[in-house]
Amino acid sequence: MTLATELPSSVSSAATVEVREVWKRYGDTDVVADLSFEVHPGEVLGFLGPNGSGKTTTMRMILDIVRPARGAIKVFGGAPGVQHQDRVGYLPEDRGLYRDVPIIETLTYFGALRGLSEAEARSRAQRLLEEMGLAEASRKKAAELSRGMHQKAQLIATILNDPDLLIVDEPFQGLDPVNADMLKGVVRSQRERGAAVIMSTHDMGDAQTLCDRILLIDKGRRLLYGTVEQVRDAFSDGAVEVSGQDIPRRAEQLESVTDVTEVDGAVRYLIRDGATPQDLFRELAAAGAHVERFAVEAPSLDEVFIRTVAGDPRAMSVR
Amino acid sequence: MARPTSESGRIRLTWLVSKRDYLRTVRRRGYLFGTLLLPLGVATLMAISAFFSVDSVGDGGSSEGTVVIVNSSDVPITEISEGAVRLSTLSEAEARERLDAGAIPEYFIVPADFRADGEVTRVEAPTDASLSRLESQESKNQLVTYLLRGALLQEAGVSVDTAQRILGDVTITTVTTDGTEVSGWDVAAGIAVPMAFVGLFMISIFITSGYLLQSVTEEKENRVVEIVLSSIPADALMSGKILGLGGAGLTQVGIWVVTALVALPLLSSQIPDLGAIEVDPTILVLALVYFVLGYLAFGAIFAAIGAMAPGNREAQQYSGFLGFFAAIPFILFSVYLSDLDSPLVLALSLFPLTSPTSMLIILGVAPGIPWHLVGASLLALLLFAGLATWASARIFRATVLLYGVRPSVGQLMAALRARQ
Repeated sequence: MTLATELPSSVSSAATVEVREVWKRYGDTDVVADLSFEVHPGEVLGFLGPNGSGKTTTMRMILDIVRPARGAIKVFGGAPGVQHQDRVGYLPEDRGLYRDVPIIETLTYFGALRGLSEAEARSRAQRLLEEMGLAEASRKKAAELSRGMHQKAQLIATILNDPDLLIVDEPFQGLDPVNADMLKGVVRSQRERGAAVIMSTHDMGDAQTLCDRILLIDKGRRLLYGTVEQVRDAFSDGAVEVSGQDIPRRAEQLESVTDVTEVDGAVRYLIRDGATPQDLFRELAAAGAHVERFAVEAPSLDEVFIRTVAGDPRAMSVR
Repeated sequence: MARPTSESGRIRLTWLVSKRDYLRTVRRRGYLFGTLLLPLGVATLMAISAFFSVDSVGDGGSSEGTVVIVNSSDVPITEISEGAVRLSTLSEAEARERLDAGAIPEYFIVPADFRADGEVTRVEAPTDASLSRLESQESKNQLVTYLLRGALLQEAGVSVDTAQRILGDVTITTVTTDGTEVSGWDVAAGIAVPMAFVGLFMISIFITSGYLLQSVTEEKENRVVEIVLSSIPADALMSGKILGLGGAGLTQVGIWVVTALVALPLLSSQIPDLGAIEVDPTILVLALVYFVLGYLAFGAIFAAIGAMAPGNREAQQYSGFLGFFAAIPFILFSVYLSDLDSPLVLALSLFPLTSPTSMLIILGVAPGIPWHLVGASLLALLLFAGLATWASARIFRATVLLYGVRPSVGQLMAALRARQ
């Protein structure tokens, strides 16, 4: 199986994580089956899939929390394990803090576990708490914090050691829009810093705006793998949305289209097989239409997700 | 930042976990209370003892050491002055005058018909009742009784020595065939003191194992464990917890032992019978070894229970069941007193879950150290502790991330057989 997909231009070519033909079985079920992918420095990989599709198990295998039955995983070019703990940050889906311990103490402990000296961990934690507006909460116990403060503190714990590999499982789940935006900014800044990010999410909007590449799995198997553009293009049905004046509204008026619908004042044309958007543009001009907007539509990742899981054969081209 | 090797990284991380769990535990109120209870209890005992000894010295030097008798009978009472006690015979008017003046706390009237009914009247000034006052009254009443009986015996022609034997206590001393003196206190202390220590050791094993259980279930319930496990391997996490909390348990036991070693000589100067208690250093060392191995065996199992159980309450129930094993030797304590060689005692001493309690009792009550049994039980306990730690590490790793569900027997077996 090849791992080759086109890398985003901003991404370095040496893989931070390399997963090759990995299998993991629990009981009689293969929760991960023949899975392969790569993540590179400066890249955000959107890890998508329905609940129970094997995302969390895959992340745990990369972190050496569980081990694969077959296949190989390389992290920073070597075996996954404790030797990389100072270069990795992990925000699991099931996450929490010690309830009866001051936040600063918990963060210092987590930082020390990530290879920092206790003094360094404490100083970085204090700085990040200040940056996130939690300076006054540093001596408070987790039980005394609001949900939003909790989540910020958890994210601080994840990036305390300036990780080169950041693995975040549903990072924005349950956040209010303000905190979600702030945390998205943190993910972007980690990518800009050069960290490789693996981000699991159910929110296709987040995946579309934050991720360079996406990996969609179901029942442990890879269904889609490529840049966001590659994936959306593969599922594009050739629809073109046009707005302006004197726009033809019947399919019979244009040879290059098979269907016409009106959407919010614009006209949506479905291109006939073999025709191109350029053919449609020429026909519109010839028909005397005054075109103000001409947009080739690609499906949203939401649509791609639903179509892929439903078995759309177009997924094969970006598998 | 220096890149840690796999092994040095594991050691560092294990140390971090053990340090954190140790400090967190020894700062708990419950731990501090439990640990300091014994020293505080001993200090209180010493303070009470010192108070009463000062009080009694004070009694001897005051006018309350004087006994005044108004003798209206024909019994020949003679005035005496021995040590702190003075006996004076006065007329009732003189005695009353002194009592009213506060020179004496009371006087005794021996009536004319004393020989017939043996009654004596004690006259004292109105005063508040107090423990020391009651003690003083009781000792003077005994003294007056002793003097009157002595006077009657002398009058009957009994010699002073014989009269003293009749009136005094008879002391029975027990010696062994090698001439060693054995006091009743020796026997009681020989059972009670080791039992107290066995109890304390076992309590400490279970308190410490309980903290271990709590530490694992807390991290699981708080959803912290996965964050921690992304930094440290499961077996190193478990080892760190066992070491850290074991250290807390050893600190507790250490404080108790040091308290006992320091307090016994100090207390024996005030409570002479305590001087009879001797702590054999070899037994003390063996007791510590049983403590460590017992804790390792129970601690490893408790860690696995904490990982498997869906919540703290369920984990406590499972561990409580295990605790019953440790209590069995206590329940069968009479067997240990009657026949240390019984097959039941042997079985309980070799079965790893009852071995620590059983052997600590045996070390306390046996006349010598049964080295063969000690060797066999230590070997069994060591093997079991090793096996329990190995199995628990696998179960811990396989189950600690199962939230809210109980693993099946099949899953546990698979965890034990799994390739690591």
